[in-house]
Amino acid sequence: MISTEKASLPAQESSRDLGRFMRRVLRQPLGIAAAVLLLLLLALITFGPAFLEHSPTRTNPLATLQPPSASHWLGTDELGRDVFARIVHGGRVSLSVGLFSMLVGLTIGIAIGGSAGYFGGKVEGALMRLVDAFMAIPTFFLILVIVTSFGNHPVTIILTVGLGFWAQMARSAHAEFKRFRRSEFVEAGRALGGSHLRLMGRHILPQVLPQATVLGTLGVGWAILTEAGLSYLGLGIQPPLASWGNMLQNAQAYLWSQPMLAVWPGVFIAITVLAFNVLGNSLRDLLDPRS
Amino acid sequence: MTEFITQRLFQGVVVLFLVSLLTFFLINLAPGGPSSLIDFQSTAAEREARLARYGLDKPVHERYLNWLGGIVRGDLGTSINQGLPVSQLLMQRLGPTLWLGVASLLLAALFGIVLGIIGALWKNRWPDHLVNTIATLGMSIPNFWLGIVAIIVFAVQLGWLPSSGFASIGSGFDLGDRLAHLLLPASVLAFSLMPNVTRVTRAALLEVMTTDYVRTARSKGLQENRILGKHILRNAMVPVTAMLGLITTVLFSGSVVIESVFGFPGIGRLAIEAANGRDYPVILGVTLLAGLIVVVVNIVVDILYAVIDPRIRHD
Amino acid sequence: MNSLRTLHRTFLAGLLAIMLIGTANAQVLNLATNADPTLNPWSPGAVIESNLINTILFDQLTRYSPEDLTPIPALATAWEASEDGLAWTFELREGVQWSDGEPFDAEDVAFTFNDIVLNESLGAQSASQFDPIDSVEIVDDLTVRFVLNTPFSALPYYLASYAGIMPEHVLGDAPDPLTVASFNKSRPVSTGPFKVAEFVTGSHLRLEPNPLYWGGEPQLDGLIFRVIPDPNTQVAQAMAGQLDVVTRLSPQNVAGIEGGGRLEVLRQSQNLFYFIAPNHGDARFEDPQLKQAMLMAIDRQAMIDALLQGFGEVATGPVAPMLGALYNPDVQTYPYDPEAAAALLDELGWTMGSDGVRQKDGERLSFYMPTGQFGELVPATLLVQQYWEDVGIEADVQVMEWNAYIQDVVVGNNYEVTLAWWSMPPTADVDPYFSCAATESGGNNIPKYCNPELDAIMAEGRRAITLEDQIDIYARMQELLAVELPYLYLWYPDILTAKNVNLQGFPEITAATAFQHAVEWHIAE
Repeated sequence: MISTEKASLPAQESSRDLGRFMRRVLRQPLGIAAAVLLLLLLALITFGPAFLEHSPTRTNPLATLQPPSASHWLGTDELGRDVFARIVHGGRVSLSVGLFSMLVGLTIGIAIGGSAGYFGGKVEGALMRLVDAFMAIPTFFLILVIVTSFGNHPVTIILTVGLGFWAQMARSAHAEFKRFRRSEFVEAGRALGGSHLRLMGRHILPQVLPQATVLGTLGVGWAILTEAGLSYLGLGIQPPLASWGNMLQNAQAYLWSQPMLAVWPGVFIAITVLAFNVLGNSLRDLLDPRS
Repeated sequence: MTEFITQRLFQGVVVLFLVSLLTFFLINLAPGGPSSLIDFQSTAAEREARLARYGLDKPVHERYLNWLGGIVRGDLGTSINQGLPVSQLLMQRLGPTLWLGVASLLLAALFGIVLGIIGALWKNRWPDHLVNTIATLGMSIPNFWLGIVAIIVFAVQLGWLPSSGFASIGSGFDLGDRLAHLLLPASVLAFSLMPNVTRVTRAALLEVMTTDYVRTARSKGLQENRILGKHILRNAMVPVTAMLGLITTVLFSGSVVIESVFGFPGIGRLAIEAANGRDYPVILGVTLLAGLIVVVVNIVVDILYAVIDPRIRHD
Repeated sequence: MNSLRTLHRTFLAGLLAIMLIGTANAQVLNLATNADPTLNPWSPGAVIESNLINTILFDQLTRYSPEDLTPIPALATAWEASEDGLAWTFELREGVQWSDGEPFDAEDVAFTFNDIVLNESLGAQSASQFDPIDSVEIVDDLTVRFVLNTPFSALPYYLASYAGIMPEHVLGDAPDPLTVASFNKSRPVSTGPFKVAEFVTGSHLRLEPNPLYWGGEPQLDGLIFRVIPDPNTQVAQAMAGQLDVVTRLSPQNVAGIEGGGRLEVLRQSQNLFYFIAPNHGDARFEDPQLKQAMLMAIDRQAMIDALLQGFGEVATGPVAPMLGALYNPDVQTYPYDPEAAAALLDELGWTMGSDGVRQKDGERLSFYMPTGQFGELVPATLLVQQYWEDVGIEADVQVMEWNAYIQDVVVGNNYEVTLAWWSMPPTADVDPYFSCAATESGGNNIPKYCNPELDAIMAEGRRAITLEDQIDIYARMQELLAVELPYLYLWYPDILTAKNVNLQGFPEITAATAFQHAVEWHIAE
């Protein structure tokens, strides 16, 4: 879950005093560590496959459930596939699902919450009731029903997980847009005859971006966890494509004999989500002058 | 106040109606039919006969109206796969979920508030950082994976606790046995709920501690403990109470996965069984029940909110 | 409020259970089932979780011999076919009573078949297996005649396969005898050695000895079936000594179970084969040689070792070795030989393309291979995909949710190759899965393979009454099926059952047979 504490605009001051901003950045060692970790992970899943000795989908029934070795760093799974190769490729899938779902949620959330905050009145009332209705449905039930109905194509998964996240984003976008719609620069823009879309996009949106960055960063973590949960239930990304979640699901049958199969993907999920959350928290501290 | 409650109840009914509509049409888009009717080894002729028998060959809107008519009469329908009234299934599965929900809520509240207080009192010092780390871990570790690891460690390796289920075989109700079965799943679920409580408690306490009247109280020489107890905590309860609604939805979502990990016979598991088995009446029943509980909790929270903090008015 | 009441009720029921179970030296057996059973063998979907339990509750006309699986008397004491094979007469057992004291007679048999199985609008489970039956006539109180539309020599076998006789006096008036909740989910009236004492849905089903049972008094004081959906939990509880019998044990857990010393694992069989179905609507499959090459490219023994931990046997056809004399091992076989497979493909004109996939006249040797999330189907499909890739055959694997798979692949026939299984009564009569008639919508011949020569042999088999004749006819059928490959036969899996080492009188041959003889189960001291 994403906490919706306030963050606000650092844009002006940071541009005015880059040095001071950098000093503040340096006061977030955990955040820096998380960012570095995520960059490393990104490098691993982007360039890693080119250097891998094994294919993540190559099965070999004669070499199943092997312990770690020089050739198979993390051993092999129940079909003789290289676990490390699957972790690397699974990372691609899990991270992509996380990022894209977050973008979907963020976009819908800003569009709906933003419009509500900007226009106010009846539009606000109607849109925010919709948001309330969505918040009242236990998200996972909804996702369960949608994925059952539309199947588990990766695009469906991304859209669905994004849908589970937009209402939160809409709430904070609503508050921010409401705050800024009467601000001087928006009024100035309005006086110059700017269209609603232009006012919202050019003048308000940049003000909301810092907070969106924070929420988005935390949202990636949430989306990765949600996809993993779906995969664990057999409703997520399907084989032969590897994802950290479906690796965990496969490992379930070997809990008694090969517990390490369940440990590796879990460790990678936890570390990745942890890094996103730490980074998100640091960004909030950094971008919110009040803390 | 009455007007407010009536209005919220009306809103709740509208939300539930929309949820049922959405669920009904979505789930009917799903390929396949109730698993008991389209069983793999059966022939196509057998399947067709069964679908017709359950009226599943009728158009979706007609079936929805039939179902809605039943709801109005207080009839949730009969499970296609299990052959039992949906209301009976829901009642049977609600008990375990309530146990799990209340246990994890209590654990999350207890640890969350304590950690939140520690974080606020030692703001930006090492206990605060430790609390922050624990909370971030709670947000980051997949709870189902934590559950699996807990099973490997405490049930498989150490053999201290049962790996799953709601009660031991062959015994009736025994509180010790029940708690032993609850301990792992409730702790795991609580661990993922706790960060919310911790964060909100800490933030609320910090805000209250800087307010004038606490400063006044301090300057009057009131002891730190009494300030904490009387003024700060009471005020901090407001946002924590407000979180209950959100936590209930998170709890339900969490129960879906956690009940599967621990083989817990609750509502979350029923939801999965019903979705996988295309048991339409059960899916709708579960979604409605979950929605109803969330709506009711939210209304109760709003009322509590108004009671605790008279400054808030509802217009 | 209601939930409190439910809790209260559960509590009292539990207390009662302790008092009943806890009496001194009562010998109660604990078993596991993966879901709430439906106590009516004909109810749609009453399969894995229900059929062994129903076998204990509802006696059938015949049951399997623990020695060789031939049908032996149960509710019927003797049977005989007419000269033309179109009528079978069954003498019913005298003095049998239902658990409510009503007498059992020919009415019940006629009701079970005429009003349940043959009533097409009900879509009763496995009803299509009885398609050759036109009706069941009552000759007298204790004699019935099955009137057939085609000879059906395997009838007594099919009658031993989850074909329980239902009480006419209880279900006769129900508008739908398959969905009576007070029967299916509570207290059915039955004829077997045990009857239902208590059914707490979601928790357990407790059976107690049926004092009116015709076959003597059971030696055990009760059976408790625990509803435990998760196989890992079943194993954990079995290892903790809380279960005495676990059916359908997954092969991965055998070592753990056996290590404990309290339970032993039986390798039982069933007339069940896993296969890859080629869709014969695809012109490429007209020549059986392509199918032969595809089969040779797969190392089935390695798959059995990897997926089933070795608990299975490479299949040679649809008839499993457990059928003894009816099984013909001397048929064409296809041992793993990727070079030979490649050579055969070359010879057939499927030459290797630049993308690693063979082609002929511009057409790629690529198959759409959907698979469903059920048991070992997905991993098995992925292994096959790899073997085929190694010889230049592409399998475009699509993993589907199980219900969607049935709808799209099985019903909709939308596939080129797919991997699944058939489970059949222990007879060589495989007509429902191979005949031309079964290719029509409504039949189980999902590969849509139609061969009049095969139809003729199978019809001959259904007319043959003596075992000698059947052995000869079905040997020829198996030879033909091994060359033609309507299905690519994969393996016969062992059905693994873990049981308490002290449990005796538990026939080892098949799980169904073991449960049909529950009256003889006892605990050795």
